Amino acid sequence: MDPALAAAWLVRLTFLALLYLFLAAVARILLRDLRAAARAAPELGRLVVVEAPAGQPPAGSQFPLGAVTTLGRDVNNAIVLEDPFVSSRHAVLSFRGRTWYVEDLGSTNGTYVNGIRVEAVVPVGWGDELQVGGVRLRLERAEPRAER
Amino acid sequence: MSVVVGPGGLRPRLRRRELGLLVLVALALLVGWFSLELGRRLADGSAGPATTGPAAAGPERILVYLAALFVAHGSLSLSGRPSDEILLPTVGLLGGLGLLVMERLPQTMAGSLGGLAASQLVWLLVALTAMTGLGVLVRSDAWLRLYKYTWASVGIGLLLLTFAVGIETNGARLTLQVGPFAGQPSEFLKIILVVFLAGYLAEYRPLLVAGVWRLGPLRLPPIPYLAPMVVLWALALAIVVVQRDLGTALLYFLTFLGLLYVATARLGYVVGGALLFVAGAAVAARLFPHVAARIAVWLDPFADAQGAGYQVVQALYAFGRGGLLGTGLGAGLPSPEGRLPIPALHTDFPLAVIGEELGLVGVVAVLACYLVLIERGLRIAATAADDFRALLAAGLALVVAVQAAVIAGGNLKVIPLTGITLPFVSYGGSSLLANGVIAGLLLAISDRSIRLPTARRPGRGGR
Repeated sequence: MDPALAAAWLVRLTFLALLYLFLAAVARILLRDLRAAARAAPELGRLVVVEAPAGQPPAGSQFPLGAVTTLGRDVNNAIVLEDPFVSSRHAVLSFRGRTWYVEDLGSTNGTYVNGIRVEAVVPVGWGDELQVGGVRLRLERAEPRAER
Repeated sequence: MSVVVGPGGLRPRLRRRELGLLVLVALALLVGWFSLELGRRLADGSAGPATTGPAAAGPERILVYLAALFVAHGSLSLSGRPSDEILLPTVGLLGGLGLLVMERLPQTMAGSLGGLAASQLVWLLVALTAMTGLGVLVRSDAWLRLYKYTWASVGIGLLLLTFAVGIETNGARLTLQVGPFAGQPSEFLKIILVVFLAGYLAEYRPLLVAGVWRLGPLRLPPIPYLAPMVVLWALALAIVVVQRDLGTALLYFLTFLGLLYVATARLGYVVGGALLFVAGAAVAARLFPHVAARIAVWLDPFADAQGAGYQVVQALYAFGRGGLLGTGLGAGLPSPEGRLPIPALHTDFPLAVIGEELGLVGVVAVLACYLVLIERGLRIAATAADDFRALLAAGLALVVAVQAAVIAGGNLKVIPLTGITLPFVSYGGSSLLANGVIAGLLLAISDRSIRLPTARRPGRGGR
């Protein structure tokens, strides 16, 4: 076989092999990334305090959420909000299927989602804002575990 | 509104994976250039020096491009943001393959400054700059999410302007010329469309998911909330009718349906939308001869192989000649008198060139790159802090994926051929720049540490 032709073949195959080497490297990283995400404990979401007039809990504090999370002034709630306008059993957040819902438990001052008063059970999206008494909270997706 | 935070608090961050992948990309592209050079020499040696048009060029352009990739990597590392590390190498490989294809084609193309490859290189550098710039500088998405109707107005304005004063090329009125600058607004319109849809769907998602009244098996939201959807459908058809641009219409509509599904998880909308589009397309095929002609060519390109079906037939031959491993870079279709063997080869058929010279193996590698881009987009969406960013990331990935699928399908005669570009590979400034912006936005929102805009005060009745 002509050596020039053989060399050209070799280079061509090396080129294709390098393309697939790149893809294999990417696939390896992606797989590792997905495995790490699957291993991480499933945290359903969290509430971030945007504003709390009474200062308790302080703005910026975060609460990891369980599938059912109760909010109110009473110490038996999952999230205790010290605010004069919060009822003792104020509202409940629940995760059903793939969406969060909020329900007002007959509180005196009401619960608001993005400024609209909650009358029945209402879905809450990521980034939506809840107002419970004077406290404003935002529903955020949980931080994914660090890739590594 | 602070879109940009000054370089005061920069803390460089090593992007080890990105660097590793980029080294592989650089190696691959250098070997690719070498292979192209050998292919040229062999062709010259076997058939005399007169056959190949372009004078062999050195590896300067590939080297400049690779240097730009590493500069982009350096800038992202210096900015210290924990953004995605797969996007840049993948986009870099696709762009590099595009550059190799342009190197291989005859350089004397009308409308290209100083040769096809040189012009492509300039636009690749512009696109990389846009991507890196957005990835480094954008620290807030408020300017996108708060002004969705403004963006939509800008988009529709651009479209109407193109309808009115656009320049026709190949029977489609796509190009807008302002002074010395000519561009295709439809490329940028697709970004605006995704931004608007992400904003709109994030806001009204609960309503769209719940559904209020029933129409047969479909549960529909209140009528006013359907209006933008209907407007979009009308827009897609208007593009078909007025601009004669089937590919763009298909791209917009498929992106819209995909995003609607991502937002609501309801197949009913997708099926309904698809039926509407098919119905619209059927009517359009009856009423408008250019639509009917495309479909006839798709069904049987060999009926008029020297005329209407020429491009498709030549592309099929190219894929056939390529076979499994291809003919080798530079050894593909002859280019008589420095003309392109297929008109619009550099914009609409780069996949056919790859199919001929790198074979099935090469085409699969290119398609795998798009698959990687989709995976990254959906992954960024899955971990985004809120609905808007999730939908934005999914939509941006979707628009690139759908565009690649529509043009690849057209090249392979799976669906009717429509003249849109292969993202990051095709020749064309607007296309490269717009896709660079998309990649840059994905980079920016993959950084989870960017703030959510401070919320609107409750009690004012919604947003």
